[in-house]
Amino acid sequence: MIGAIKRAWANFRGFDLTGSTVPPMDGPLRPNAKLDAAPLLLELADVDNLVLRGQQILCSVGQEIHTLAPEIGNSGEALSITGTHSVGKPVTSMAAAGDLLAVAVEGEGIRIERPGGASTELIRPEGLNVECITAMAFADPSTLLIAVGSARNPAHRWKHDLMTKTEAGSVWRVDVGARSAVSIASGLAFPSGIIVSKDRLFVSEAWRHRVVSMGLDGSFQQIALGSLPAYPGRIAPAAEGGFWLAMFAPRNPLVEFVLKEDEYRSRMIETIDPEYWIAPSLVTGRSFLEPIQGGARKKLNMLKPWSPTWSAGLVVRCDGSMSMLRNYQSRADGDVHGVTSMCEADGRLLVGAKGSGKIVAIDELAGHAAR
Amino acid sequence: MASSDTLAYLRSRYLPDHLIGELLSKRWIDNAIPFSALLLTIVVLGSIIPDFLSLSSLSDLARQFAEFGLVVLALTVVMISGGIDLSVASVFSLAVLFSLIGVNVYELPVPVVLAGILVMGMGCGAINGVLVGYLRLRAFLTTLVSLIIFRSIYEIVFVKMSTSMMVGFSMSDLWLFIGEGTVLGVPTSLVITLVIALAWHLVLSRMRPGWRLTAVGGARRSAFNAGIDVRFMVFLTYVVSSTMCALAGFLFAARLGSTGSDTGVGLEVQALTAAVLGGTAIGGGRGSVAKAIIGSLLVLMLTNGLINLGISGPITSTILGAILLFAVFVDMRWQKHRHRILAKVYVSPAYLSLPPAPKVDAPGSPYVLNDRLRSVEIIGLGEIEGPEDVILDRDDNLYCGTRHGDIVRFFGPDHKRSEVFAHIGGHPLGMAFDRTGNLLVCIGGMGLFQVAPDKTVTKLTDETNRSWTSVVDDSRLRLADDVDVAPDGRVYFSEATIRYEQEDWATDALESRASGRMICYDPRTGKTHTEIPKLVFANGVTMCPDGQSFMFAESWTCSISRYWFDGPKKGTTERVISSLPGYPDNINRASDGNYWLALLGMRGPALDLAMRMPGFRKRMARRVAPDQWLYPNINTGCVVKFNEKGEILDNLWDLGGRNHPMITSMREHRGWLYLGGVSNNRIGRYRLPDADPDWCGQDAYWGPRP
Repeated sequence: MIGAIKRAWANFRGFDLTGSTVPPMDGPLRPNAKLDAAPLLLELADVDNLVLRGQQILCSVGQEIHTLAPEIGNSGEALSITGTHSVGKPVTSMAAAGDLLAVAVEGEGIRIERPGGASTELIRPEGLNVECITAMAFADPSTLLIAVGSARNPAHRWKHDLMTKTEAGSVWRVDVGARSAVSIASGLAFPSGIIVSKDRLFVSEAWRHRVVSMGLDGSFQQIALGSLPAYPGRIAPAAEGGFWLAMFAPRNPLVEFVLKEDEYRSRMIETIDPEYWIAPSLVTGRSFLEPIQGGARKKLNMLKPWSPTWSAGLVVRCDGSMSMLRNYQSRADGDVHGVTSMCEADGRLLVGAKGSGKIVAIDELAGHAAR
Repeated sequence: MASSDTLAYLRSRYLPDHLIGELLSKRWIDNAIPFSALLLTIVVLGSIIPDFLSLSSLSDLARQFAEFGLVVLALTVVMISGGIDLSVASVFSLAVLFSLIGVNVYELPVPVVLAGILVMGMGCGAINGVLVGYLRLRAFLTTLVSLIIFRSIYEIVFVKMSTSMMVGFSMSDLWLFIGEGTVLGVPTSLVITLVIALAWHLVLSRMRPGWRLTAVGGARRSAFNAGIDVRFMVFLTYVVSSTMCALAGFLFAARLGSTGSDTGVGLEVQALTAAVLGGTAIGGGRGSVAKAIIGSLLVLMLTNGLINLGISGPITSTILGAILLFAVFVDMRWQKHRHRILAKVYVSPAYLSLPPAPKVDAPGSPYVLNDRLRSVEIIGLGEIEGPEDVILDRDDNLYCGTRHGDIVRFFGPDHKRSEVFAHIGGHPLGMAFDRTGNLLVCIGGMGLFQVAPDKTVTKLTDETNRSWTSVVDDSRLRLADDVDVAPDGRVYFSEATIRYEQEDWATDALESRASGRMICYDPRTGKTHTEIPKLVFANGVTMCPDGQSFMFAESWTCSISRYWFDGPKKGTTERVISSLPGYPDNINRASDGNYWLALLGMRGPALDLAMRMPGFRKRMARRVAPDQWLYPNINTGCVVKFNEKGEILDNLWDLGGRNHPMITSMREHRGWLYLGGVSNNRIGRYRLPDADPDWCGQDAYWGPRP
């Protein structure tokens, strides 16, 4: 009863009780256009899951896994596809430890590819939902930590998961040898990135706009990074120490509003193609059927960089305790949107923008941790 | 229709919640709270005190009001100019005293006494006025001091003259008539006060001195900068104030015929309470006669009521003081929050169910996506901002409006050089040539203007008939949008909305209420009238070749209609196209007898759904910042050609809006199509492959050059 009165009063005065106020992009998230300025290595639609396996750069596009290598005679400025193999179903995430590669295949299981193509086995531990494995990380060659985004929606229906306010994500520890899996955390709101650092585990919890840390058995959960103005996704290790955190879409006040509007949201989900929803997106501006917001109207033929947008590109350099240090952005007027994966290779960070279908490079690898 | 849709439809159809915002935006709404307090007081006191509303007590109240109301009015005038006059009470009592001395003791003629009293009032006021106005002393302290001094004079003279005053008695009929007589049943003093109040109402609301007074109180420095003699105005208010108080004292003396040591004591607090209760701002700049009257009636009724209830004087004063405090508090909160409330409640979305949008990429659709407009020739890039409409004359000169308030002319045939053809001041929107080559222009916020070939600018009209049911004053033209001329010279133009200014046109999209209209200006009579009321963002208009009808667009309903203003079908409207894939803007003739139509933006399913959920949009308008609101997608524009049957014949796109994100107008001229956009910085020129290379709009309308 008191809660209802509080809500009614907050509704009347316009307070925010639900944490739906989008924090400003400030401090270490101060806007810039560094991702747009970064050298473009390869244009590849739907590029996802960049990983470094040994010395080999891999990425996935749908159900195919590409091997990438610097173009011969091009002084390493561009990448090209040197090999491709298909796994039959869409790849939702990949992880590597040395030469060992784990590939999560939607609805199938986890393929463990051993070095040199020695053997490939598909494991599907009991209890583990393999429809929505959003991220994986090896703790050691026999232990794989897995983020399951949602128990209710497959990975490609992530917009549904957000817009239905689902909180059915979990984190699992898989013993690769024994092919068994244990759930170490559940009730998460779309865990979308995972990484192991010493004996701690960092998990991005996208729909709660935060990164949580926990022990390898799920104990001592803490918020490592909270109140983010964007949805955090995959986390990659930095050679210098610390991490790279990709945020795949910005938060938007109108989306936060729609999340409170149950009737509109349910009718939108029922009747409208997800591409045209009022929802975060990996890329925008592809169709005039997409909604736009007041500030995103072109004036004098210009789209302002600070326009409200459904998609953006955002890579954040974090230190070892996941505090943000600096960021690389592509704003509303930019074209490196929807960054979902990154990996360090050949002395630079490869950034895979799934939304815009591009791989760009960030060359400033050193000097972050010292600052 | 889903049941929730039916409910939303019925609610938006029958609950006029847009009126709340419109009422709140009225200037007189400030009086609503004091006025309802007054009604409440009458009802409450009338029910607990017998005889409260009886004739005798009303007549008594009327005479009291005549005097008290004058004092409050006097104080109000000073307060509007940003000052305060505490000496009203002592000037009042001095006037009572000297009136009685003049009439009773020296038995002077009543008119002479009146004149003397008024001069005395002016003198008192002049002292205050010189000190406050010219010597710039603090009004509060100065009038406090003059309150004490005038009061002391009263005390001194009263002690000396009280006996002779009591003994004396005037036999003057005029004195009696003023004190106790009536004019047509209305007490004389009340008539005097009402006449003065009416005069002040006219001065304050309709005349230059009143406006200057308000300007001085509202922003002293700005008033000075605007050339107003601020010191003299301030001086004058004190003189006027004291003179009116003196008159009030004279009326009081005539009514009671005696005075006491407590006459006028505490009157300044009562008057101040009344003024503030009525809604006059203590800081100046806001106040009216109506406020003064409401406030003084409130205070008088309260005091009389409390006395009737047997409450002693000091307690009555305490209660009045508490009410003053409360009124100041409410006034402060109201002033602070009124605009915030208004901003939150003004946007009042209506239910709008659009038919399903045509699938532009489906096979067999008359719409074919292409990028034909991407490679247009660009005219005036960076030189002009906001060419909403473009038009060409017989000599191939190109005219367009800019948001700086100019009409720019690009010289034909290459359109490289340009000049400012006319500067009008508002953003020119739709344009048309009349028979004699005058350029008629709709100007947002200003109305319909004419620019002659020799560049003289004439205002044709800026108002139409006021409709009785509209709360917003819809006689002024707020957003005249597009214009065309009938063969007989009558000018038909659209007004997009009566609820928003031009800059906020997109907010009207969020509302999608039928608040636009088509208006007709007849140059033969000079009269303007509303031809078709209640349209949803009436936009483009163009004459049909039959000379009896025109096509017009309603943007937010994505429809084109045809209206007959003459001939057998006079007065009828027919829908030509009921479901466009985007929001239509200007319509113009094509050389092949069909029509060009600009789509300023495209429909999207998310907004279409929101259109059926007015409550959602209303909450969005309140909760979300305007830059984050859901809007029509105006970053993609297109031009379509349609015929009289409403069939789509051709379409030209710039997908992604590289050159022409929002196309608001297009004009065909000698084989080219010229494109304008209200928020663009360029004009596009597209070669029409199959068009008549000699066709010129001006010739097609009015025949070849005379």
